[in-house]
Amino acid sequence: MVRPRLIPCLLLKNGLIVRSQLFKVHQDIGNPISTVKRFSDWNVDELIILDISSEDYHDLRRDDLHQRYAGSTVLDVLRAVAQVCFMPLSFGGRIRSLEDIRLRLSAGADKCVINTKALEDPRFITEAAQRFGSQCIVISIDAKRHESGQYEVYSNRGQHPTGLDPVAWAREVERRGAGEIFLNSIDRDGSGAGYDIELIRAVTAAVSIPVIACGGVGRYEHFSAGILEGGASAVSAANIFHFYELSYPFAKKACREAGIPLRESRLTSRWLQREPIYTDEERDRALARAKVVEYRPQSAPLPPQRVRWCTRCVYPSISAAPLEFDEQGVCMGCRMSETKNAITPEEWRRRRELLRDILEKYRCRDGSRYDCIIPVSGGKDSYFQTHIIKYEFGLNPLLVTYNGNNYTPTGWRNVHRMKEVFGVDHIFYSPSVTLLKKLNRLAFIIMGDMNWHAHVGITTLPVRIAVQFKVPLIIWGEHGYLDLCGQFSMDDFPEMSYRDRLEHFARGYEWTYFVGLDGITVQDMIPYQYPSDQELFELEVRGIYLGNYLYWEANEHGTMVMERYGFQISPEPFERTYRRMSNLDDMHENGIHDYLKYIKFGYGRCTDHVCKDIRAGLMTREQGIELVRQMDHRKPKDLYRWLEYVGMAEEEFDRIADSFRDPRVWQKRNGIWEKANIWDECTADDTTAAAC
Amino acid sequence: MIAVIDMGMGNLQSVCWACKHIGAPVTVASEPKVLEAAQALILPGVGAFGDGMRNLRHRGFVEVICRQVKAGKPLLGICLGMQLLAEEGEEYGVHQGLGLIHGRVVRLTASGTGERVPNIGWCDVTITNPASMLFANIPSGSSFYFAHSYYVACEHGADVTATIAFGSITPPAAIQHGNVYGVQFHPEKSQDVGLELLYNFWQHAAQHS
Repeated sequence: MVRPRLIPCLLLKNGLIVRSQLFKVHQDIGNPISTVKRFSDWNVDELIILDISSEDYHDLRRDDLHQRYAGSTVLDVLRAVAQVCFMPLSFGGRIRSLEDIRLRLSAGADKCVINTKALEDPRFITEAAQRFGSQCIVISIDAKRHESGQYEVYSNRGQHPTGLDPVAWAREVERRGAGEIFLNSIDRDGSGAGYDIELIRAVTAAVSIPVIACGGVGRYEHFSAGILEGGASAVSAANIFHFYELSYPFAKKACREAGIPLRESRLTSRWLQREPIYTDEERDRALARAKVVEYRPQSAPLPPQRVRWCTRCVYPSISAAPLEFDEQGVCMGCRMSETKNAITPEEWRRRRELLRDILEKYRCRDGSRYDCIIPVSGGKDSYFQTHIIKYEFGLNPLLVTYNGNNYTPTGWRNVHRMKEVFGVDHIFYSPSVTLLKKLNRLAFIIMGDMNWHAHVGITTLPVRIAVQFKVPLIIWGEHGYLDLCGQFSMDDFPEMSYRDRLEHFARGYEWTYFVGLDGITVQDMIPYQYPSDQELFELEVRGIYLGNYLYWEANEHGTMVMERYGFQISPEPFERTYRRMSNLDDMHENGIHDYLKYIKFGYGRCTDHVCKDIRAGLMTREQGIELVRQMDHRKPKDLYRWLEYVGMAEEEFDRIADSFRDPRVWQKRNGIWEKANIWDECTADDTTAAAC
Repeated sequence: MIAVIDMGMGNLQSVCWACKHIGAPVTVASEPKVLEAAQALILPGVGAFGDGMRNLRHRGFVEVICRQVKAGKPLLGICLGMQLLAEEGEEYGVHQGLGLIHGRVVRLTASGTGERVPNIGWCDVTITNPASMLFANIPSGSSFYFAHSYYVACEHGADVTATIAFGSITPPAAIQHGNVYGVQFHPEKSQDVGLELLYNFWQHAAQHS
C-alpha cells in the first residue's frame, strides 16, 4: 500500500520564498535554502517548489547571510536546495520545453510540475511523459469557482481564464500521460478557509492518477478533509507551514489522529540534524576579512539592480528586511499597515478574545509553574506586554532578560524597575563578559554584525527557560517583520520559530559556528543553544506575538507606560534616530549596529522609524525624507566605546565594515563610496516627483 | 570512496549528495576505469531496462562491473539499477541484464484492490532477513520512497531481504546475493531511514576493503 502524503509547497519568487494570497499578493518569507533545510529536519514526505518569478534572475538581496547560493538563475537555486533535500522534490514554474525539464531533473528535481505550457500545447504532456516517464510529469491545475458554482481552469499563475472545466481537463491530462495532478483552488489561495472539497472530489472521481490537493488550509485540522472527503492521494499547503514552529510535525500529528495513515517519521535522526555544519575552511575564509586589506567577497557578480523606494514610505528595495513591492510600487509594509488600520474595533475585540482563549488554555491551574514567559529588555514594549498580561488578563508571568552588557543607564533603571512595579519574578541573565567581547569581535568580522550575540541571545534564552521551567507559552511583543515589511498577513497569526531565529536573527550563523574560534567551547555557548525539536514538540512550546491580537501603536504605548509605571525615555537624543524610547537596552543597537546596516544596505534606523510614522499618519513622506537625509549616514559615538571594549582600531573597523558594502547599493568612485538616494529620485525623475 | 556509475540517464546528483551527507567520499564514474579505485559501487538509475543495459554496454561498464563484483567489491543497485542486476528484463521487449542475481524483471500488475502502476510513493518495507547488513538499525515496517512499474522476481527466495505488499503479491524491496545488493526504493529520497541504509552500505564497504 502506498501511504498518503503530506506535502509542503513553497513558492519561489526572484530568489526568495514568498507567501501568496489569491495568486496576487506576495510577501517575502525568506531564504529558500534555510526553509528547505527546515523541512528536511522535519523529515517531510515530499516537497513541491514552484518558481513564480516575474523576472529571470534570482537574488537573495543581502550578502551577509550564511545560507546563500552561487549564481542567479532558477537552476542555481534548485541545485543549492537539492543539497539539503533527501526527499522527493517536485519543481515547477516557467517550464516551456523538454530541455527545461531535462535541466531541472539534472539539477536535482525528481518531478516537474507543468501548468501553462500544457494548456497551450497539450501534446507537450505526452512528449514529456514519453521522454522522461509519467512518474516525473505532474500537471498543475489552477481552478477558480465562479459565483454560479461553475469551475474554470486558469493559466499563467491564475491570470487567464481558459474556458476549460477542471474535470474534463484532468481527464485529458491523464489520457495524455501525466503521472500526477497538482490541484489548486485560486479563490481559496491564502484564505485559510479550508480546501474546496467539492472541486477535489470532482477531480479525484474522474481520474485514476494521484491527485495532490492544495489551496486554503488555515488550520492543521483542514488537511484530513482533503483525503477523507476529497479522496486526494496527497494533501499540500504553502502558507501554513511558514507560520508556526514545527508546523509539519503538528500537521502530521493532526492527520494521524484523524485516522490518515501518513508515514511515521521521527524528529530526531543523526542524519537530519537541525544545526548546520560548518567547515574550518569556510570559517577561515570568513575571518580573512580581518586580515586582507582589499577583501573581495567570493560570490559571483550579480546583475546590476537599481535600488528603488516604496512610493508611499521611504523603504528601499535592497534591505535587511525581506520586502516585496506591489504593482503600484507600494511596499508590503505599507500594505499590511493599511490592512491593520482597517481592522474594525469589533475585529480587535474578536482578536482579544482569541488571545484570552490562548492565555486561559495555558494558565497554570495547580501552581506548579508560571503561566507564561515574557522576554523583556525593559523597553516600552516590555512594559506594555507585562501590563497586558499581568493586569488585563491576570496571569503570573516569569520575566526573562538576556543582558548583552550594553545597557544605557536609563535602560538599566527601566529593566530593573519591572519586578517592582509589576510585582513579578524576573530572571536577569548575564553571559560572561569575556565571552561577549569575543562574540562581538568575531561576529563583526564574520557577518558585519557585532550584535549577533544579542539577537540570538534574546530569541534563544527565553525558549530555553520555557523548556527548563516547563512553561509552554511565551509572549512576545509584535512580530517585527510583519510590522516593518509586511512579511505576513494580519490573518496569519505567525508565531516564533527556529527558522526565523536562524535565518533573520542569526543570519544563518548558528551558535556552533563560533565553537573553536578564539578558544570558545560548546559549554561557553549555552545561552545560545536552542532547545531540540523533540523538546519543543513534547512540551508544545508556542511563542505568540501580542501584536497579532491587540492594536499596536508604539508611540501610544510609550506614553501610557511612562505615565503609569514611571518608564523613562533617553534624556538625550540618539544620533541615528529621532525617536527617544527605542533600544535603551543596547547602546549599540541604535548606534554602530545600525550604522553597519547603513554601510551594508544604505539605510538605517531613521528610515525604519520614519516608515512606521508615515504609516501611522504622524508625518509626511517629505518630512520623513528630510529626517533620513539628516540621520541615516551619521557615524555614532558609541563606536569608540565598542572599539575599546573589543580592542580594535577605528581604521580596522572601517576597513572590515567596507567589505560588507552591498554592490547593489554602493559604488566606489574616485576613492569615495557613493549610492543613489531617495532625495535624488525626487529631483531627477519628474514622473515620480509628484509622489515625493 | 564510492563510485556512482553514470549511465547517462537521470539524476546522479541526489545519490552523490546523500553519500556526501553521510560522510562517504563519492565520485561520479563516467568511464569504467574509475570503478577500479573505488571501495564500493552504486548503480543508480531511472528509465527503461533496455536503455539502461544499452548505455552500460556502450560505455564499457558491463565487463568491469562483473569483474569488480567477482573480486568481492560491494555493489548496490538502486531502482532500475537493482533491476539491471537480474538475468533479464521484459520492459519493451526482452533484454539481457547483468546476471548478478538469479531472476527476471517483470511488470507489476494491479489486482484491483486499489494499487496503481507505476507504484509511486512511500511504502512500508518488511525486512524478511533480519541479518541483512543494509537494514541495521532500521526497524521493519519503515517507509521508503518507491517509483517503479517493474520488479525483480528472484529465483531464490533466500536472495530477498525485504519486501513490500502490493495487492496480492509481495515484490522484493531489497535483495542480496553475496556482495551484490539491490534496493527497489530510492534511499537517497527516503529521508532518515534512506540515509541510514546508505551509511550501512558504506560502513560495510569501508570495513571490507
